[in-house]
Parts: sequence; C-alpha cells; structure tokens
Amino acid sequence: MNTETTLTASPERAAKSRKTLLGYVPMVSPFYAFHPATRLILFIFLGVTPLFIFIPEMNILLLFVNLALLRWGKVDIQQLKIYMPIIFTVAIFMFTVVILAPGKDPNYTPLEVLGKTIYYQPVFFTFAAYWRLIAMLFGTILFFSTNRERELLVGLRALRLPFVASYVVGLSIRAAGMFMEDFRTIREAEQARGLDTKAMRFSDQVKLYMMYLIPLFSIALRRANEISNALFARGYTLTGRTSTGKPREDYIRSTYSYSKRDFVAIAFMIIIFVVTGLTQIFFNVFAIEHSPLNIFLRQALGIPS
Amino acid sequence: MENVWQLEEGEVRKPGIVHVVMLALFTGIGIVVGTFGSLAIPIGFVSAFWPGQAVQSIGSIWFGWWGGIAAGLFPLISNSLSGSAPLPVSIAYLPANILQGMVAGWAFRRFKSNPSLPTGKDWWVFILWGALVPNAIGAAWGTTMLVAFGLITQAAQFVSFLGWFIGNTIPTIVLGGLVLKYVSPLVVRSKAFCKDYWA
Repeated sequence: MNTETTLTASPERAAKSRKTLLGYVPMVSPFYAFHPATRLILFIFLGVTPLFIFIPEMNILLLFVNLALLRWGKVDIQQLKIYMPIIFTVAIFMFTVVILAPGKDPNYTPLEVLGKTIYYQPVFFTFAAYWRLIAMLFGTILFFSTNRERELLVGLRALRLPFVASYVVGLSIRAAGMFMEDFRTIREAEQARGLDTKAMRFSDQVKLYMMYLIPLFSIALRRANEISNALFARGYTLTGRTSTGKPREDYIRSTYSYSKRDFVAIAFMIIIFVVTGLTQIFFNVFAIEHSPLNIFLRQALGIPS
Repeated sequence: MENVWQLEEGEVRKPGIVHVVMLALFTGIGIVVGTFGSLAIPIGFVSAFWPGQAVQSIGSIWFGWWGGIAAGLFPLISNSLSGSAPLPVSIAYLPANILQGMVAGWAFRRFKSNPSLPTGKDWWVFILWGALVPNAIGAAWGTTMLVAFGLITQAAQFVSFLGWFIGNTIPTIVLGGLVLKYVSPLVVRSKAFCKDYWA
C-alpha cells in the first residue's frame, strides 16, 4: 500500500491590511500617494467643515463623500462595524433626551406621535445635529482607517509641531499599543493558569478588569525609566537639537515627499473650507431654515416658518 | 503618618526627560482606557461611562502638571478613536479635561493627603476633589460646549449633565480608588513622581 502523500504548497495569501492602533489600514491605498500632511489636513477639513453646515441633507451628502472615500481608499468596510453601536445609541440618546426635555418655547409646534406629544422644532434640530455629528465622526474614522501612527507623526512634524510635542504624541500612541500588548500578555498568563472569565459573575469580571490595571501601571513605571535612560544615553534633548545646537535630522520625515497632487488637494480643501465658512458666517447659507426637508415638512404640517 | 509631599533634607527635584516620557506613557494608558470606556457602553458624546476620568485624576495626583497635560491630551485621541466626539468638540472639551485632572492633584497637595489612601480623610479628599468636583466641572463644561456646538438643545442640557456626571463619577471612585490604593506605594518611590507640580 502506498502511503506516500504529496504535499503541495498552498498559494500564499497576500496580506490586504496592516495592523494599526485600534484596527487595520489597507496595504495598498490611493491615499498613500498623498503626503501625510495632506491626509492630516483632510482629517481637519472633514472634521471641521460640518460645523458650518446646519442643513441635514448636506451633512448626509458629506457622509456619502466620506463613505466613497473609504471605499476608494480600499478600506474594508466590514472593519467599521465596531462603530455601529455608537452610531445607533447616539441617535437613541439624542432623540430620547429631546423628547423627554423639549424645552418650553411657546413657539414650538406640538405634534401627536403614537399618543405622545413631541415638538417639531427641537426634534428637527436634533435630527440636523445628529447628521452633523455623524458627518464629523466619519471624517475621523476615515483618517484612522487610512493612516498609521507613523503617518500621523510625520503629518504633525510636517505642520511644524515642536519636537517635544510630536515626540509625546508619537510615544503616547505607541504606548497605547504597548499597553494593549501587555494587557493581552497578562490575560493569556491568567488563562494559561486556568482562569475562566466566562464562568465569572459580571461583578467579578469588573473587579478583574480593575485588577489588570495594577500590573499595567507597574510596567508603565518601569518602562518610563528605561525609555528615559535610553533617550539620555542617545543624547536626546527636549528641544530636539543635537549637542552642537543644530536641529536633529528627522529620518522618518525624509522618507516622504510632497508632489503636485498634494498642493492641489490642499488648495482645494482650503478654498472649500473658506468659502463654506464665509458664506455661512455672513450670509447664513447653510442655516437649518434652508433645509429642503424642513421646508417640505413645515408646509405639509402647516407650520409657519 | 508619612507625608509623601515633604521634600527630604537636601533633596532637589527638577523636571526631566523621565517626566516627558511618563507624560507620553500615561497619555497612552489614557487613550486605551478612554477608548475602551467609550466603546464599552456607547452612548455617544454624552459619556455615560468613562473610566478615563479616573486616569485624569490619578495622573495629576502622581505626576502634577504632567498628569494634567496628559488629562487634556488623551481625550483628543481617545474620543477620535472611539468615535464618541469629533475633533472640534474634543478640542472644546480641553480646558475642562485639564481641570478634571488638576483639581485632584491640587487637592492632594493642598490637604497633604496620601495617594495610597490609608485613612478615611484621604478617601474623602479623593471622592470629593478627585471624583465629584472634577466631574461636576467636566459635565457642566462639556454639556455647555455641546449646546454651543448645536449638538443638543438648551433644554436637554440638564438631563445630559446628570447622565454625564453620574456615569463618570461611579467608575472614577471605584477604578481610581483601587488604582491609587494599590499602585501609589510603587509610584511614590519612582523618579517620575512629582512632590511639587512639575517635579
């Protein structure tokens, strides 16, 4: 009987994502053609622009722009499901609060919905506020789904953040990763000794969570000494200058360069931002009163504007 | 009772690189605790369960202003990562976040309380100045900012304030109390511990 088996190498699976602080970023993305500073400016642009826009339809449109950018950037949309609970519970929270505490303005229009009196103006205001918030949040999600810690650091340094500040930001983000790694090690050590957290009561699980912090803080203290000694030994100073007084070479920044598309993208974002801000501040163009849905509902319900 | 804030004879303490490193590491801890706190019970920008506040109080008690800076810095990142508040709102929270941290640090130094909480007085200082007062400040400022940004109505501010205050105070007392009690004896012997505000 022939017992020989032939083993064929399975085709190697190409990695599509790269691990980052909380999730994954795609290995290949059109965003990577842009300088990290451009991506950081996009983050600020998408996060701040909705502040000037009170029309919910425009913020929904902005949300679709964010989703399109996520798709274009080859982000695995499945990975965004960690944000789903927050998206729904924010809506539940906002609408519950406005229904329970609508305010006492005599100009509010009462509406009977399922036997409960609600008021049109605060409810529509909350509807508009919710979409503003979600539009801003997706700008943040886009940034953290397409940038690693290193790119955030380069972006900050490119925007001329002082060395000590960018060092603290960079090390703190790395420290968050190290802290999670230590946490995983402690949990695995406990599991290896037979701890079954699933069999524990909720209150005991909470206590256990608290108890994790004690070794984690102890490790952080030891690590602070080690890192500060290592920095001292390498001649680092808080000013970011060498002993001769010259600025220290920034290797990571030197590996990225600006291209024409960066300048075009930055100019485009600045123009859109300035135009949006000025038209809202001086002409109230994006006020909630100009929302087509608001106008339609007011006409349908007979509410004077 | 040992006064941990008292300088020994001839002792000179200066801010150094170890404090900057500790600031970064503590900010990292705050990012993780703040992010997972927001994701654990997601209720949005009105944080109903945020153990990050415990980290803010502990930070300023142990590391003075370095902990205060960390208290201001880490919510900027953790709020973005958890999706609980957009960047402009997080920036608007900054003064309250620094205060949320520094109130406890000031009170422990002012009343010469021991961070290991060995006596009832130390516990009361922590509960009042490390949990109740900072969270009242944080919830008042935070909800005012939400009204200013047009994210909640004026009428909804009080309900939001209560949700925020109660939801943050309980984890602060439980988590902060335990960490202070068991980790402080280690910290006060370390180089990074600040007897004064900067060193």
